[in-house]
Amino acid sequence: MTGVAVALLLAGLTAYLLFGGADFGAGIWHLFIRDRRLIEHAMGPVWEANHVWLIFVMVLAWTVFPPVFAGIASAYWVPLSIAALGIVARGSALAFRKVVPDRYAGTFAIASLITPFCLGAVAGGVALGRRGWLSPPAIYAGVLTTGLCVYLAAVYLTWDAHREGDAERFRTLAMRTGYAVGALALIGAVTFGRTGGAPHSPLIALSAIAGVASLVLLWRRSYLAVRVTAALAAATVLWGAAAGAHLGLGAASAPDAVLTVVLIALAVGGVVLVPSLIWLYVLFQRDDKERAAFRGSQA
Amino acid sequence: MSLASSATDFLAARTQMALTLGFHIVLAAIGIGLPALTLLAEWRGHRTGDPVYRELARRWARATGVLFAVGAVSGTVLSFEMGTLWPHFMAKFGQVFGAAFAMEGIAFFIEAIFIGIYLYGWDRLSPRAHLLSGLPIVVGGIASAFFVVTVNSWMNQPRGFRLDVHGNVTDVRPLAAMFNPATPPEAVHLILASFMVCGFSVASVYAVGMLRGRRDAYHRRAFAIPFTFAAVTAPIQVIVGDWATRFVAARQPVKFAAMEGIEHTRNGVPFKAGFLEIPNMLSVMLKFDPHARLRGLDSWPREQEPPKNVPHYAFDLMAGIGTALVLLGVWALLAWWRRRDLPRSAWFLRAASLAGVGAAIAMEAGWTTTEVGRQPWIVYGVMRTGDAVNPGSGLTAGLYAVVAVYAVLAAVTVTVLRRIARAPEAGAATSGPDVPSDAAWPEGGTGAPEGGGPEGGVPERGDGAGASGSGAERGEVLR
Repeated sequence: MTGVAVALLLAGLTAYLLFGGADFGAGIWHLFIRDRRLIEHAMGPVWEANHVWLIFVMVLAWTVFPPVFAGIASAYWVPLSIAALGIVARGSALAFRKVVPDRYAGTFAIASLITPFCLGAVAGGVALGRRGWLSPPAIYAGVLTTGLCVYLAAVYLTWDAHREGDAERFRTLAMRTGYAVGALALIGAVTFGRTGGAPHSPLIALSAIAGVASLVLLWRRSYLAVRVTAALAAATVLWGAAAGAHLGLGAASAPDAVLTVVLIALAVGGVVLVPSLIWLYVLFQRDDKERAAFRGSQA
Repeated sequence: MSLASSATDFLAARTQMALTLGFHIVLAAIGIGLPALTLLAEWRGHRTGDPVYRELARRWARATGVLFAVGAVSGTVLSFEMGTLWPHFMAKFGQVFGAAFAMEGIAFFIEAIFIGIYLYGWDRLSPRAHLLSGLPIVVGGIASAFFVVTVNSWMNQPRGFRLDVHGNVTDVRPLAAMFNPATPPEAVHLILASFMVCGFSVASVYAVGMLRGRRDAYHRRAFAIPFTFAAVTAPIQVIVGDWATRFVAARQPVKFAAMEGIEHTRNGVPFKAGFLEIPNMLSVMLKFDPHARLRGLDSWPREQEPPKNVPHYAFDLMAGIGTALVLLGVWALLAWWRRRDLPRSAWFLRAASLAGVGAAIAMEAGWTTTEVGRQPWIVYGVMRTGDAVNPGSGLTAGLYAVVAVYAVLAAVTVTVLRRIARAPEAGAATSGPDVPSDAAWPEGGTGAPEGGGPEGGVPERGDGAGASGSGAERGEVLR
């Protein structure tokens, strides 16, 4: 039972990195890109659903591993509080911008930068044996997390830009971020691979392969396929870190009666959730020729 | 007394929780009601083909978008605070009430998915599919409110676990915790309160507009729909409130004594509210016996009593405003009965324009009553609030940061909402490509051009069928 709960937690974290993380990354690109409309257009319908993965992870953690959740939350209350305020600023600013498009851009972008850094630093600190969130390894984890977000966003947005006509700019950005974040991840893999205990080289290798494949796919302009490989490259970094972490989850697990109720609730909810989520993504990724033609006529 | 590093930090933690929860509760209330109002307007728009309803639906959808987002993120803050402020509470009891939060998470997920589909799907879905895509938001909103409240009711009536000799939690039964005795009255009371806050708040925006002379069909309907919704709820809430009060009197007599300001145990307790004092009345109200004996605060040890003034004044404030809101509804009902119109008096509109703020204050006061009335316990009779708090130092600094961010957030939210409610010329310049023909409604007339918004090139779909019957039904409300 505990194994199932751990798998669900990791799945939730992965989804949050791949979807919610990309939204933070898109917010960071907001700082550098003039075509902000593309970014907000891509995020608009989906960011709230993507955000819920974080709630999912927290709720599952405090229900199934209450002492672990409480220990992390109380020890890292400072970065977590900053992240919470960052989430408030990011989400509100984005919603406000839909009504008042010429304002709140700075708040949106900076909150998008601070939040994943803080969450990544907490994750890194926890995974490396409760190091302080401002210790060098935790800061590295925060920067790497932010980098992964930026990279995922660039890759995902390349396809959105392609649908709107011109993918070249985002393609270049995605490739450059790919080199930079790949190098950053490699430094960590080598460093922590030497000092850390558990060898998780298969995941590191998988991440490296997926990262290289992503660069090739970007070079070949396969903008949909690269979304999958880039997501794999990012997810394997998270899994590698999780594989090396010792959280003592087994001893802290809630009784089976609790797990059973939660799993049944998730199974029943999943019947509605999964198709709805797929519909949401398909609906707004579907190429609407009428709209594209209309945009073309406006441009 | 408490685990906190200092008394100031403990107070800061409690203040931060109260502030962030008090902020979220208003947004959550509107987030529960506003999608339903929006769908109602959209549905009437389809049925009648009347552009007034469609414009209302569009405006309210935009407001829903803003309020849902702010509500979602302010709710996330609460999830963080559960752990960062009250880790000992979570470590011990997270397993007991966590399942309810898992269910709330699912309901919220459904809300978040469909809010995206609904808000951005105007021109990607057929009118019928678009209308239907809004329904899960309403159902999800009410469901998540229910699940969240079960946790608070559990804190008042903890069930579904045992403590062994070492004080460890054993024999956890999550469903028994969720469906504790306090759940029915608390959940119904809060959901109805949400309807009232939402209805009166939205109505009060248009009451202000009508006071400024804009008495066109748009304003009248925009006022009438939410006002009716809230005014119908108000008298039901009185009955539910009575039920909730009797429940507290039976199950948490010390909270009841604090709420009613009963200091000494005695026979024939008077009813006290403000300066008003009616001899023996409280005994009559509770036990239907003028000489019934009620327990006063003096019958509990000091360290088990809540602060006595705050729950009493908060409870009176809530009940007083609630009564006034019922009377406001009666006023409108009488006018409707006599003349099929809103009351003509400007005093009615003045009162109605305050009703939104009033309902929100009543909700906050009710929340204060139940939360402060539960003190000094975080889990009634089981764990003290002081034993739940984060022992880390610096919580006070955290409070200052939160206060600063929330002050700005509140100010900007109001500014943005006013912008949505403002004259359509401004709206037309700012509406995004996702809401075609948004804000195409000129002030003060029913002959709005259709599809005249910034995306005039996109044809509006499927309104032809409803348009034929529009003449007869147009203006049916409050004409």
